[in-house]
Amino acid sequence: MAERSTFDMGRTIVQALALLLVLSFAVPYVYLVMTSLKPAAHVQQIPPSFLPNRISVENYLTVINTQSMPRAFLSSVAVAVLTTILSLALSVPAAYVAAQYRRPITVFFLLFALITRMVPAVSLGVPLFQLLKSLGLLDTTFGLVLAHTSAAVPLVLLLLAAFFDGLPKEMEEAARMDGCSRFQAFLYIVVPVMKSGIAISALFAFITSWNEFLYALLLTSQNSKTAPIVIAEFNSVYGLSWGPMTAAAVLYSLPVVLVTLVLQKQIIGGLTFGAVKG
Amino acid sequence: MAKISLKDINKVYGDKFHAIRDLTFHIEDGEFMVFVGPSGCGKSTALRMIAGLEKITSGELRIGDEIVNDVDPKDRDIAMVFQSYALYPHKTVRENIAFPLQMAGIPRDERARRVTNAARVLELTDHLDRKPGQLSGGQRQRVAMGRAIVRQPKAFLMDEPLSNLDAKLRVQMRAEIASLQRRLGVTTIYVTHDQVEAMTMGDRVAVLKAGVLQQVDTPQILYARPRNIFVAAFIGSPSMNLYEATLDGELLVLGEQTLKVPSSVFAARPAIRESANRPVIVGIRPEDIDDASVTTKPEFEEIDAPVSLVEALGAETMVHLKIDAPWVDAGDPDAVAEIGDEHTAVGRFSPATSVRPGDTARLAISADSLHFFDPETRVSLW
Repeated sequence: MAERSTFDMGRTIVQALALLLVLSFAVPYVYLVMTSLKPAAHVQQIPPSFLPNRISVENYLTVINTQSMPRAFLSSVAVAVLTTILSLALSVPAAYVAAQYRRPITVFFLLFALITRMVPAVSLGVPLFQLLKSLGLLDTTFGLVLAHTSAAVPLVLLLLAAFFDGLPKEMEEAARMDGCSRFQAFLYIVVPVMKSGIAISALFAFITSWNEFLYALLLTSQNSKTAPIVIAEFNSVYGLSWGPMTAAAVLYSLPVVLVTLVLQKQIIGGLTFGAVKG
Repeated sequence: MAKISLKDINKVYGDKFHAIRDLTFHIEDGEFMVFVGPSGCGKSTALRMIAGLEKITSGELRIGDEIVNDVDPKDRDIAMVFQSYALYPHKTVRENIAFPLQMAGIPRDERARRVTNAARVLELTDHLDRKPGQLSGGQRQRVAMGRAIVRQPKAFLMDEPLSNLDAKLRVQMRAEIASLQRRLGVTTIYVTHDQVEAMTMGDRVAVLKAGVLQQVDTPQILYARPRNIFVAAFIGSPSMNLYEATLDGELLVLGEQTLKVPSSVFAARPAIRESANRPVIVGIRPEDIDDASVTTKPEFEEIDAPVSLVEALGAETMVHLKIDAPWVDAGDPDAVAEIGDEHTAVGRFSPATSVRPGDTARLAISADSLHFFDPETRVSLW
């Protein structure tokens, strides 16, 4: 009995810590949603209230009626979709070769990808700015796609390498015996077999680009601003417009929140794939 | 269908590990050849080189009349069944079987006809629209076979295709594969570590050890005339009992006991006369040892040996015996380690035996079936 009660105590502590962790992420988001639903006059009241005293959609109407927001939203979609496509096009073959044809050079390649994830994004911002400037790609959708791809590829590569690591090498060999070249075996067999892993990796690439702020701030000015920049710049003659800003942030977060909710099992499976293989 | 020839084939990994050494033999058109040997003997490497999945370091491989050392697997026109079956999990059984035909550009109607035929032969007709994940192990194995036979290739390569099945299904599938191969008449190379599979399925069996071909012969010859002590011990279950002994004229001195070697043995194996009064390695198959009090053997020599274990299997009784002579290791890395320090001989006694552990059994040894090997070269004396 004593052992059982000790076990329960430990479990309670772990659950309490987990709850604290969840709250630390959830409270700011819930507060964001609550603020977006407050009437404009109550948004900046002092002391601030957590719950709106009256539900209002006027902030959302303001956002929808601005000119910059829908355009920025479309720009975000274009950049995120193109980043996802480019990241996958580069990472899927690279991760497959790195995982299935393991050599010292491919291990180094994956480690190097890991190292680039460790480098603070801001330290890469200046070289990226210079590079895109020299290529004439500053403030263009394609320029931002290249920058976002450089951030997404290491993550997608590592994630996919973990997925491909679990794929039996015999799958490709069987396809080659069945009349495929190496590339056909990869295209007709390996890619369809790994489609769920590729889909999860695509989602991570999309989210990386969708949520990205720093590169968008540094590398765009007028033409290809993405939604996070426009949201941050939401202001009025009275200063920052917290109400519309929070409403825009909620609208912008909805696609990824919904997709994450729908695919949460697969995402967690994807994140722990390498750890619990077998 | 085609003849397959290997000439001085070598496989070296990274200048260090010599996986296959000077492998030379021919597989006749339509023949069922089995590669057998303990783990790490190079049998799968040899098969994969024939498939084109491993590069040949040196030597010459021919399929038909063509040298195929540098030909891509897809262009060799051979089909392979993998140990894990390697079915495509996203495709149905029908699509799995049809895939090689699709890659070969066979028209849709012809594909459908051939898939239907293969499915009928393999009793998969009711499962054609299922995915591999919905099938049992035996059914998956059949799908892998279907994918191989549907193409009508020059040769089938099979890499331990039954090792993932339970014992009962393995026996059933073993017979089915052998019968299918006879019916189709396609040259087949089959890799296994199971010598029973090798003996029951192969027209000929190639025994490999540490990348070196030990002997390639029919199962009957491998059993009756093994070339060396490795083949002698590897082929046959339980293994041949091998002991150091001395030939003193016509007497075989085995520890403290002696057996008279019949003159027919000297006539059949002239080489052992040269070993007279010298040490030899003697091999006695378990089936040549019985309980002298109940045996039906017409002629036999008798020696005594203490019994350490009795395993009654119904139709026969396996008796573990302590023979007082130095035991010889045949060099099989997969051989089951003995319990304790003592190596025991195994006798396949008739079920009428009443010996018990602790008894001293009077053994009836078929002396005309003894095997003799040179203790230095470990090669059979004939």
